[in-house]
Amino acid sequence: MLKRIGSALLFALLVSGKVSAAPAAQAADVELFASTDTNEVEVDGTLMLRIVANYLSRGDPGQLQLPAFSAFDVVSTSSQEQLSYQFASGAPAFRRTVTTTLALTPKREGDAVIEPAHLSWNGRTYATQPIRIKVLPVGRKPSARAQRQRQPNPDPFAGLGSMQTDPFGDVHPGQRDVLLVAQVDNERPFVGQQVTYSLYLLSRVNVGNVENSQQPKLDNFWAEDLEAPQQLTPQARILDGVPYQGYLLRKRALFPLRAGKAVIDPAEVQIQTGFGMLFSRGSVKRASQPITLDVQPLPPGKPPGFDQGNVGQWQLSASAEPLDPAVGSPVTLRIVVSGYGNVRDLRLPKPPKIDGLRAYDATTSDKEVVDKGLINGTRTIEQLLVPERTGVIQIPALAVDTFDPVQKQYKTLRTEPIDLRVGPSAAGAAAAAPLAQNLLASGGMRPIRLHLSEARLSAPPWSRPWFLPLLLLPPFGLAVLIGASRARRMLQTDPQQRRVRLARSAASKRLRGAQELLAKNDAAAFYAEIGRALTGYLADKQGIAAAGLTRDELLLALTGRGHPEETAKRLVRILDDCDRARFSPFASEAPAREAMLGRAETVLGELDRA
Amino acid sequence: MIALLLVAQAQLFSDANAAYLSGDVPRATAAYEALVAEGVASPALETNLGTAYLRQGKRGLAALHFERALFLDPADDDARTDLVELRRGNVDKLEGESEEGSSETLSRVLAPLPGSAAAVGFLLLWIAGWSLLGVRFLRPERAGVVGWAIVSFALSGVCALVTFGAAQGRKIALERGVVVAQSAAAREGPREQAVSHFEVHEGTTVRVEDEEGSFRRVKLANGLTGWVPAGAVEMVVPKSWSGGSSAPPASRAAAE
Repeated sequence: MLKRIGSALLFALLVSGKVSAAPAAQAADVELFASTDTNEVEVDGTLMLRIVANYLSRGDPGQLQLPAFSAFDVVSTSSQEQLSYQFASGAPAFRRTVTTTLALTPKREGDAVIEPAHLSWNGRTYATQPIRIKVLPVGRKPSARAQRQRQPNPDPFAGLGSMQTDPFGDVHPGQRDVLLVAQVDNERPFVGQQVTYSLYLLSRVNVGNVENSQQPKLDNFWAEDLEAPQQLTPQARILDGVPYQGYLLRKRALFPLRAGKAVIDPAEVQIQTGFGMLFSRGSVKRASQPITLDVQPLPPGKPPGFDQGNVGQWQLSASAEPLDPAVGSPVTLRIVVSGYGNVRDLRLPKPPKIDGLRAYDATTSDKEVVDKGLINGTRTIEQLLVPERTGVIQIPALAVDTFDPVQKQYKTLRTEPIDLRVGPSAAGAAAAAPLAQNLLASGGMRPIRLHLSEARLSAPPWSRPWFLPLLLLPPFGLAVLIGASRARRMLQTDPQQRRVRLARSAASKRLRGAQELLAKNDAAAFYAEIGRALTGYLADKQGIAAAGLTRDELLLALTGRGHPEETAKRLVRILDDCDRARFSPFASEAPAREAMLGRAETVLGELDRA
Repeated sequence: MIALLLVAQAQLFSDANAAYLSGDVPRATAAYEALVAEGVASPALETNLGTAYLRQGKRGLAALHFERALFLDPADDDARTDLVELRRGNVDKLEGESEEGSSETLSRVLAPLPGSAAAVGFLLLWIAGWSLLGVRFLRPERAGVVGWAIVSFALSGVCALVTFGAAQGRKIALERGVVVAQSAAAREGPREQAVSHFEVHEGTTVRVEDEEGSFRRVKLANGLTGWVPAGAVEMVVPKSWSGGSSAPPASRAAAE
C-alpha cells in the first residue's frame, strides 16, 4: 500500500524539509509524518503542526507521544481519525489515518526546533524528524516565500491511494465507458532524473478482469517497477459529471538515458466487463495515449570527471571498523551512498591505495526500496584492509560529484578522513592470517616487458666446419703415434739381425736380377748373379762366408747348423755348376739356365724353412 | 659506435613500450618491427611484438613472434603462456591421432638442453680420452691413465647424447612454421588448380616439409598434409638467425 503513495506535491514537500518521515517506516505498515504550514513565524504568531499516522493494517493504533515543545506553547490540540475499508475483486483494502493538529506559538525569537514525535506500535517505535522554525521578532513579517507556503496545511497523504489529488483533471472521457490513461509526473525531467509513469484504467461499468496487458517499450529509459497490483482496487472519481471507477494498473519509475524528445508508446490492455461469468458483457480492448517527454540535458558547469550517471539526491558516508586494530587484523572500510536516484547507474571512485594497509578486493552491493513513490537506493562498498604497520594510518577523504535535479545544481559529496590507530599484534598471533579469499583464475595475457634483453644468435658448435675434423683428430693422431713408434722401433734393430731378416728377400731380389740377365742372354753374368744370391744368403742368414770355405767345409757348416745333408749337397752342386758355367768356354743352353734358376730358388726355400 | 647503436635501440624499445601502454598499438608495432628489421634478436622484443599483434587481432603474426621468442629463449614463461592463451582461440582444432604432436612435445623438451655447452664438453672430453690413451701408449708404466681415459669417454658419451638431443630439437625448430594468413586452402599439389581438401587458419603451427615454386608443403600435428601458398606460412626461425638454414629441407638440399 505504501508503494502507491506518490505525487509531485509530496516530493516537493519532502525536498523543502517541511515534511519529515520516520526512516523506519519505509517498509512497515505504519507511516508517521509531521509537517508545519510554515517555517517562519512571528513571536506572537501561530503555526500549525500536523502529525499524521497512517496505518495500513488493522489493530490498536498505539500511543502517540507528542514532542516536548521546549520552544513553543501549545495553543490548541485536535485529532481526527479516518477509516476506509473497501472490498474489491475479492480482497479487502484497509486504511486508517489519524491526524493530530496542534496550534503552536513560539516562546522567543530566533531559531527554534520542534522535537520529534514518537509512536509506539506493535513493539516498534516510530519517530518524526525534528523541524526547524525561524521565529521572527514582533512586527517583522515572514518572507514572501513563507507567506506563499502559509496556506491550509496540505496533508502529504491526502489523495494518495485515492483520486482526490485529481490526476485526471484534464481527462474528458466523453461517451466512452472504459478508457486507459497514462500519466507522468514530470514531462521535462533531466537526464537521469526519475519520472513516475502511471497507467490507470477508468471505467463506469463493472470491470471483471484485465488481461493481455501490453506495456510500452522503454528503450530510452532505465525502468524500475514501483507498483504492479495483482488485483484491481477501485477508486471513485467524477469526470465531467459522470461517476467513474479508477484502477491503477501499473506504476513505474523511469530514468531517461539521454537528452531530447523521448516518446512513451501507448500501452494496451484487454478488459473483461460485467459481473462474473453469468453476467459477462464481453471484453474490450483499450490503448493509452502516447506521452512525449522533453528530457533536459544536464546544465553546464560539470565538475571535471563528473559521471553522467550520478544524478540524484545522494548522501555519502564512510566508516571503518574497528578504528584501533592490531597489525595483521582486519579492518572493514564501508562506503555508503544513499538517496533518491538510480543507484545502479551511479559511478563511485575507487578507494585509493593506502600505504601501510593491504587492501583486498572490495565488494559492492546495491539495494533499492520504494519510498513514497521514489526509488531510494543505497550502494554499500565494503573493503577489507589489513594494517601492515603500527601507528596512525589515515584513510583519506573520498569525494564524488553529483547533480541534484531538484536544486538543479552540481554538488560534491565528501567523506571525512578516518584515522586508524594501529597497535602491535598480540604475542603469538599470526601477523597476517588469511582473511579473505581473493580468487584469481589463471590465464590471460601477460603484460609486456620493458627491458630489451638481447639473445646471442650463433650457429651451434656441431654445425661449425671445424667440429668434425677436431673430433676425428685425436684417434687419427693416436694412430699416427703408434705407426711412428713402430717405425722407430724397426729402425732401431741390429744390422746383423736386419741382414738375417732381409737375407731371403735380398737373395730373391738377386735371383730376379739374374732372371733379367737371362733375358739379355748374358750367361756369365747370369751365373755370377745366382752364385752371389746363394753366397749372399749364406753369409746373411747362416753367417757362413762361402767364399773362404772349401766345399767340404761348407757342407760341414751347413749340416752343423741343422740343415739336411741333401740340401747342403744340392747347394754345393749349384755353386759348382755356376762356377763351371761362368768360366766354361761353351755357353749353356737357355733351358739349362732356367733350370738353374729354379734349382737356386728351391734350395733357398729349403734353407729358409730349416 | 656499437654502444651508441645499443642506446638507440633501447630508446626505440622504450618508445614502443610507451606507445603500447598509451593505447597506440599500431605505433608500438611499427617500432618493434623496426627493431626486428635492425637485426635485434630478443625474447622480450618478440614477446612484446606478439602481444601487440594480438591486441590488433592478428593472431597468426602474434603466434609467430611468440614462437620466435621461445626459440630464442625456450625458458621464456611469458611467451609460452601467451602462446597457450592464443591457441585457445585458434580457429583450427585438430582432431585425430597426433602424428606430429609428439615431435612438438619432443622439441619443447629438447629445446632447453644446453646443446652448445654439451658439444664443447663432448669435444674436450673426447680429446682428453684419446690423449690419455696416447699417454698410456707412450708410457706403458702409467697404467692408471687407462681408467681416466674410460671416465673421459663415458662423460663424453653423455655429452654426445645431450648434443644429439639438442641438434634434433634444433632441426625440428628449423622446420616449424606458423600460418599467418587468415585462411589458406591446403591443396594436393603446388598449383592453384590442385584440389583442396581442407583449410588452415592463422595461428596454426605446421611443419614445413618442402617448397616448390610459390608453394610450401605443410604437415599439421595430426598428419594432415597439403600445399599452401608460401606467403601464408612464415618460418619460425628466419634465415638471418640460422645462417640461412631455415629454408625447407628440399630447398636447402637444392641450395647445397
